[in-house]
Amino acid sequence: MIKLENVTKVYPGGTVAVKDVNFEVAKGEFVFLVGASGSGKSTLIRLMMREEPPTNGEIWIAGKHVTAMPSSKIPYLRRSIGTVFQDFKLLPTKTAYENVAFAMEVTGKNRSVIRNQVPQVLKLVGLSDKAERLPRQLSGGEQQRVAVARAFVNRPLILLADEPTGNLDPATSVGIMRILDRINRTGTTVVMATHDHAIVDAMQRRVVELDRGRISRDESRGIYESRPVGTAATEEVDLSEEPAAEQEPESVDASNSSSDDSSDSPEDIE
Amino acid sequence: MTNLKYMIKEAFNNLGRNALVVLGAILAVFISLTLTFGTLIFGEIVRVNTLQWAEDVRVIAFLQDDLAVEETAVLQNEVASWTEVADVSYISKSDAYDEAVILFADDDSMLSVLVDNPDLLPASLRVQPVDPADYEVIVIRLSSTPGVSEVKSAGEAIDAMIALRDGLRIMFWLLAVALGVAAIALIANTIHMAIYARREEIEIMQLVGASNWFVRTPFLIEGALEGLIGGALAVTFIVLAQQMAVDRLSQLPEWINLSIQNDFILRQGALVLLFGVVAGLVGSSLSLAVHRTLRS
Repeated sequence: MIKLENVTKVYPGGTVAVKDVNFEVAKGEFVFLVGASGSGKSTLIRLMMREEPPTNGEIWIAGKHVTAMPSSKIPYLRRSIGTVFQDFKLLPTKTAYENVAFAMEVTGKNRSVIRNQVPQVLKLVGLSDKAERLPRQLSGGEQQRVAVARAFVNRPLILLADEPTGNLDPATSVGIMRILDRINRTGTTVVMATHDHAIVDAMQRRVVELDRGRISRDESRGIYESRPVGTAATEEVDLSEEPAAEQEPESVDASNSSSDDSSDSPEDIE
Repeated sequence: MTNLKYMIKEAFNNLGRNALVVLGAILAVFISLTLTFGTLIFGEIVRVNTLQWAEDVRVIAFLQDDLAVEETAVLQNEVASWTEVADVSYISKSDAYDEAVILFADDDSMLSVLVDNPDLLPASLRVQPVDPADYEVIVIRLSSTPGVSEVKSAGEAIDAMIALRDGLRIMFWLLAVALGVAAIALIANTIHMAIYARREEIEIMQLVGASNWFVRTPFLIEGALEGLIGGALAVTFIVLAQQMAVDRLSQLPEWINLSIQNDFILRQGALVLLFGVVAGLVGSSLSLAVHRTLRS
């Protein structure tokens, strides 16, 4: 599904972000990219979504050779990739529903398809009852769920996530991880860059560690072992499907303090 | 089809959303096109008026006294057949005498000389050039024509007039071109601001796989609309201003003519509108190109 061959990325000015990286991700895999800040995780994600071309090496995404892809073809590549970022990247003037629908509108989807799909995906991420809220009326965790819904609504083959829990507290992060896990179980390949020890350790998935632009470790069921001294990951993370003691943080908007917990336990797919 | 509808809707939404920026762009187009169109109109007024001067340019060929009537007619026909000559009129000795009597009505000594010698003044051909700039060619040709005794023209005055006319023409064209370029730059800048204000939205559109045209077309439509509205305002403004000028300044000296052919206004107005739309499209394309190079 994803294949990188001898990929090197040098930024103008000579910064080597990624050096001679080789790795392959099979269809339906869930891969964590870990490593210190500046180790090249985000660059790899950007290379895979063809936000920028590699300086050297070859990249295949979803069967397409993207290394020398002309810019006119990139939008079509993007339609088979869902992306989630640390800062959510939601349109502030559109409601949760409209943000998700936007991803379908820009690809020219039929209106009836949009009307059918968007509520389904919002239900998947547990935001059915907040569809008409604007991003600023949602908590961080809820905004990220909207972003995940938007990334998934076109049923991408691949979901790329760059620090999706970076702005969220541990409990909220668990909620996001559950959704990503569920999406992965529908067959979507997930690659997630993170430095969240607790999540990586709890998920027990493939871990690819980057160290100064090179792959230093690749384990099929790994943990985030290279902990910097002094930061012990003490949080116990429960990713089981039973109703957990998961708590959403207080909403940013005071009017949104209604404690309806239904949205915090997203329903299953289908 | 849905796409096109969506894009037009987007373009109009943007016009509303960035009302202040859009207003700025329309005003910029309006002002620069008003200046451009105004310059064109003023240039046309100057052209029409200098055309009248040109009609007054004459080369006078005095004829030898011994020329027979038939010879004079042959000579007149010959000169009239020259390509650089627009018109030839014959002034006989008696015509010249009548003119002189009127001209020197206040000068008794001159009058007495004229009355005593009614044959004193020679007959002449008054030659009007097609293009005033050709007067020198006519002077040279007439000088070497048998039967012509002397050739006169207001050479320096004509030269000055031609220089002024050509200078004005070039000045107006340069002004119009400079103002047109300014209009494009202003539209480009405004669209650039609109794109900058929406860079997050554009980034997100690109993230979710919107095609390049899907992202760009609303901006192109927006630019074209701003150019069209600004151009329409400019044309309306100038046409009204010109009509007001004609109405209000009716007591101007006769030799100044402010009225302009309607078909000139229609043609130039349509051109200005077209220019507005093209400036809008070029402006938004320019800023899109700049935006793209900034991103990559």
